[in-house]
Amino acid sequence: MPAFYTVTGADFAAILPETILALLGLLLILLDAFARPLRSTFPYVALVGVAIANVMGHYTTGAYFAGAIEVSDLTKFVEFLTLAGVSLAILGGETLLARDNKNQGEFYAFLLWAAAGVILMVKGGDFLVIFLGLEIMSISLYVLAAWYRELPASVEAGMKYFLVGAFASAILLFGVATLYGRLGTTSLSKIAGHVQANPAIGFDPLLAFGLVMIVAALGFKIALVPFHGWAPDVYQGMTTPAVAFLSTAPKAGAVVVLIHILAVTLPGALGVPWQPLLAILAGITILFGNVVALAQRDLKRMLAYSGIAQMGYVAIGISTFTQEAFEGVLVFLAGYLVTNIAAFLAIGALSNGEKESHPLSDLAGLGRSQPMAGGILALSMLSLAGMPPTIGFIGKFLVFRAAVDSGFVMLALVGVAGSIISVGFYLRVVYMLFMKDATREVNVAPDDIPSGAAYLLAAAGMLALGLFPSALIDFARSAASSISLL
Amino acid sequence: MSFFKSLLSLDYFGADVLTTLTFLPTLGAVILLFVSEEAKKTIRVVGLATSGAVLALSAVMAVKFDATLPGISNFLVDRPWLPRFGLRYLLGIDGLALALILLTTLLSFCVLVYSCGQSIAKFRGYVMAFLVLETGMLGSLVALDTLLFYVFWEVMLVPMYFIIGIWGGQRRIYATMKFFLFTFIGSLLMFVAILYTANLNTKTTGIQTFSIVEWTRNSASGAWGLTPGVEALLFGAFALAFLVKVPLWPLHTWLPDAHVEAPTGGSIILAGVLLKLGTYGLMRFGMPLFPNAVAQFTPFIAVLCLIGIVYGAWVAAVQKDMKKLVAYSSVSHLALVVLGLFAANTTAVAGAVVQMIGHGLTTGLLFLLVGVLYDRRHTREMADYGGIAGVVPITTTLFVISMLGSVGLPGLNGFVGEFLILAGVFKVDVLWCAIASTGMVLGAIYLLTLTQKVFWGPMKVKANQGLTDINGWEFAGALPLIVLVVVLGVYPAPLIKLVTPSIDAMLQIVSR
Repeated sequence: MPAFYTVTGADFAAILPETILALLGLLLILLDAFARPLRSTFPYVALVGVAIANVMGHYTTGAYFAGAIEVSDLTKFVEFLTLAGVSLAILGGETLLARDNKNQGEFYAFLLWAAAGVILMVKGGDFLVIFLGLEIMSISLYVLAAWYRELPASVEAGMKYFLVGAFASAILLFGVATLYGRLGTTSLSKIAGHVQANPAIGFDPLLAFGLVMIVAALGFKIALVPFHGWAPDVYQGMTTPAVAFLSTAPKAGAVVVLIHILAVTLPGALGVPWQPLLAILAGITILFGNVVALAQRDLKRMLAYSGIAQMGYVAIGISTFTQEAFEGVLVFLAGYLVTNIAAFLAIGALSNGEKESHPLSDLAGLGRSQPMAGGILALSMLSLAGMPPTIGFIGKFLVFRAAVDSGFVMLALVGVAGSIISVGFYLRVVYMLFMKDATREVNVAPDDIPSGAAYLLAAAGMLALGLFPSALIDFARSAASSISLL
Repeated sequence: MSFFKSLLSLDYFGADVLTTLTFLPTLGAVILLFVSEEAKKTIRVVGLATSGAVLALSAVMAVKFDATLPGISNFLVDRPWLPRFGLRYLLGIDGLALALILLTTLLSFCVLVYSCGQSIAKFRGYVMAFLVLETGMLGSLVALDTLLFYVFWEVMLVPMYFIIGIWGGQRRIYATMKFFLFTFIGSLLMFVAILYTANLNTKTTGIQTFSIVEWTRNSASGAWGLTPGVEALLFGAFALAFLVKVPLWPLHTWLPDAHVEAPTGGSIILAGVLLKLGTYGLMRFGMPLFPNAVAQFTPFIAVLCLIGIVYGAWVAAVQKDMKKLVAYSSVSHLALVVLGLFAANTTAVAGAVVQMIGHGLTTGLLFLLVGVLYDRRHTREMADYGGIAGVVPITTTLFVISMLGSVGLPGLNGFVGEFLILAGVFKVDVLWCAIASTGMVLGAIYLLTLTQKVFWGPMKVKANQGLTDINGWEFAGALPLIVLVVVLGVYPAPLIKLVTPSIDAMLQIVSR
């Protein structure tokens, strides 16, 4: 065994998508400084770069950098989701930011870096790389949260997210350090080796303690109850296209990392303390998120609690802990991503701009005067509620099915109860759009070509994937099969 | 000649007939997306052409229908949907489904014809909603894959939510939310039950499928090995979804609100088709899948039905609002249908099916005619009318025929269904029959009183003197239904013959 690992070109090829995204971000910052008149082309530059990154990610599979980077179908799935998410956010976000002259190149740069962080995080085969990815992602998002630096709400969002995020990072590091203290390694594959050699180690108090810390830290990023407190304020103060991204791809990345870590440290089955714990967490998250969302009168706060509840459904899949459940979780995350981004983009367009709040009542009557954005928002609400024939239904079907098949009928019933509650606030949006007359003038964003394209893609994602989900499900299946459960 | 042959071969562009039938209305709705809101004439033409084509197609299907084929195997379509989960795009119909398909396509067409005679705001959206709703209803009737059925079942919910919520009356938001929540709660429990049953079927037979035909066979052969407790829970979840839709007392409270607030077209479809899908669901899914639980639950449900019959009739009798009266009469009539189903003998179930069709026609007509009056006077209070028979003779004539059909006058279709149900129930339990009969008597009282108060007596309200009679569009919408009320009353044999094989198949499993 050589003392030093020799880095080759193949290693760098494995992280090509992240590298492209990072360099693209730098390029956009430079362009903004030296070629400001070209600003209106920045989103297209970014989109081309994202497309290249997406293509480049398809060619490698396996372990690189001595196992610190692991590329599998699972990471490719998340990579694809993240790049799709960032593309939609850029495509639809341009118009929203241009209203306030806030479409600087840096905005796209930070979005791209956040995406690079998500991808690096899920590729991490070593806790240090996971931490690195998580930090790249988080720090970019902190900046995006405070994008409107002249607005107190935005600065508050940035500050809050930063403090909570830094706290979560510290907890994650604490957990990793504990694991390192017990096992002497931060490499996931070596930890897996230890656990396989000595299965009882999963119940070692020190290891369990470290794992609790890590789950809690990722729980912060996913916004599971009781680690959800930051979400409503951050969503409310953060600019809408950035929330569209923040609420989807980073959560998907954190979920996948969580599943990966649990599968490595607790192979085969979650076991007694973990399974009920996660199941209870899932149930509480679903009920809490949906009930509190009922009381919200601000659209972005409402979607924050809705997002918390949606992650509860994901937690059902995690606590079920079978290949089928993970497959369901991945499909659910894909559906949640396209649906939630569509919802946020439409909310941004149907408002007086990013500098003002987004009260639910502003939507009154807009479904008729703005059929495109209004229709997309209504469709996304139905998808979030899990109504067929949208992708939201397919995701819930797969997750609930896996839970029922593994005997967790109660979890499925709790999920169903949550869905029933959720109809109360999702349909309130539809009601405002189509069944209520306008109460005040809302200065909506124009329907231009990029936002129209974003809507079209999102609508196709919600409906076409809902009607013909087999391709997505097959992709998710091959992705889930790279999670080794032994 | 060869043109007609190819028309009758029902194989257009390689698409099978059931898919065409189901999605043709949605195609019309999609076309309407590109029609300007202002072009009322074009909207009208697209709406009528689409639903007319669907009606024509269903009529051709009725001609081509092969009653000799066993089980649910006419126009069978079987394509993979999500094969790994055993989900298939499985469509097929039997006589029962065909009868309800014809009812659905006819009522949908009549509603659109009728609506052309009214001034409806946002007409484009209105027509689109009804077309999408038609897809949902037809899809529920043709789907043989249980999850596919569930998808269509839920798809029905959204357009109806819009129809009540946008074109409804004063309290439309309350009504539409209540309608949505009641139905949604029921169907989500059914959803979990479907998942459980699918898993059970896979575990016990080793074959992953959601096909209702396979499920029914496996259930009947005892392959599932269900314990009574689990079977009761599963049946409960299915039955709840369907009985909310029917709606059976005490799950009925959404219905009067929904009916009163819904626009006339919405009420017609709601009463005419959606309620029947509840009883259809019981016959196709709920009862055959869990026969032992049916036997176990029969006394309980029968009591609910008897309460529903009498309660619905009593409450209808004290209503001042015409629509509310008809709505409560539906509660009463549908409870009788469910009683007929759970009586589980050929006579009663045949009566129930005939009554499903009959109630769809007569109640649809009653709502339509109440809508005609409402459109002119903007009130549904009986006290605001009176003595208008001389002013609106055609409306009066039509109303009297529909009312008598609903009452169950021999010679009109209501009589056939009610008589068969009561005769069948009599064989099971004389007391049930006696109590159910009182509902019929009460039915005659409140419906006759309604007619008497609205159309005869002194003309107390001046505004009624200028009342205009039913217009051409409205009449065209009502006429086919009136004709069928009479035809099926005089000669119900073809209908009974059509549905008998389906009933026998169900009763083979759910026998007492």
